[in-house]
Amino acid sequence: MLFSLRELVQWLGFATFELFLHLLALLVFSMLVALKADMSTSTLSWWMVFIPLFAADGLSTYFTTIVSIRLYQENEKRLAVLRLLWVLTVLSLKLVCEVLLCQKLAEQEQARDLWFGLIVSPLFILLQLLMIRACRVN
Amino acid sequence: MSLAQRVLLTWVFTLVFLIMLVLKLDGKVQWNWFLIFLPVWVFDSILVLMLAIKMAGRCKPGYDPHNGSPDLRLRAWYLTAMLLKLGFCLTLCAKLERLADVKLTFVCIPLWTMLLGALVELGLNIFPERREA
Repeated sequence: MLFSLRELVQWLGFATFELFLHLLALLVFSMLVALKADMSTSTLSWWMVFIPLFAADGLSTYFTTIVSIRLYQENEKRLAVLRLLWVLTVLSLKLVCEVLLCQKLAEQEQARDLWFGLIVSPLFILLQLLMIRACRVN
Repeated sequence: MSLAQRVLLTWVFTLVFLIMLVLKLDGKVQWNWFLIFLPVWVFDSILVLMLAIKMAGRCKPGYDPHNGSPDLRLRAWYLTAMLLKLGFCLTLCAKLERLADVKLTFVCIPLWTMLLGALVELGLNIFPERREA
């Protein structure tokens, strides 16, 4: 569409398989959100609804670790470290945002001080990092 | 458009949308949900326009379909995906504004269709040998 898959992989720093994984997690997550919203008597907690996103983050971390170890063994040490650092930074920011959002939704009364500006702040940091990376890739 | 220009375009619209969304969710502004989604409408309109122009360019006489650009079927899928995304955002806004009393499951159907299509497209890129078979 606006970007080719090759450009997306270069820009985001994720492999095609990882993008597939995150997209699949988003699909399952949206289904669970719809299920939770439409069935008011549902016993599904918000933490369970967020499980696909947490699982995708975990699997992506595992995949990146394996790829980085392989790169390190093939004497691509700089590339291995840079890739590991970048992916871990992105995944940590994403995870922080997800955990905060989940906490806000699960404990609406106790988490009243947790305003949405604070929840989305990791995404703002991520956007700045992505812009810097885009300049490097370009 | 160069990669930097396309990234900048995406970045600006995402940033503006996130800021407006946060302001609305925190109750700082009482704007209509359709107004909050304004960056999405503008960005999607630009994309649909660009796609339509590229697809129309193929109809020109003397166009070489083998010049390396994605085929018409792929562009048609992109256009469908954009329309599905627009449909999802419109119904979501209508539900949030209480203009329509529909279940979230029905609102999400265009989104799920788009995500499934994107998954198939990505899957075909992960296993390219199966595409040729």
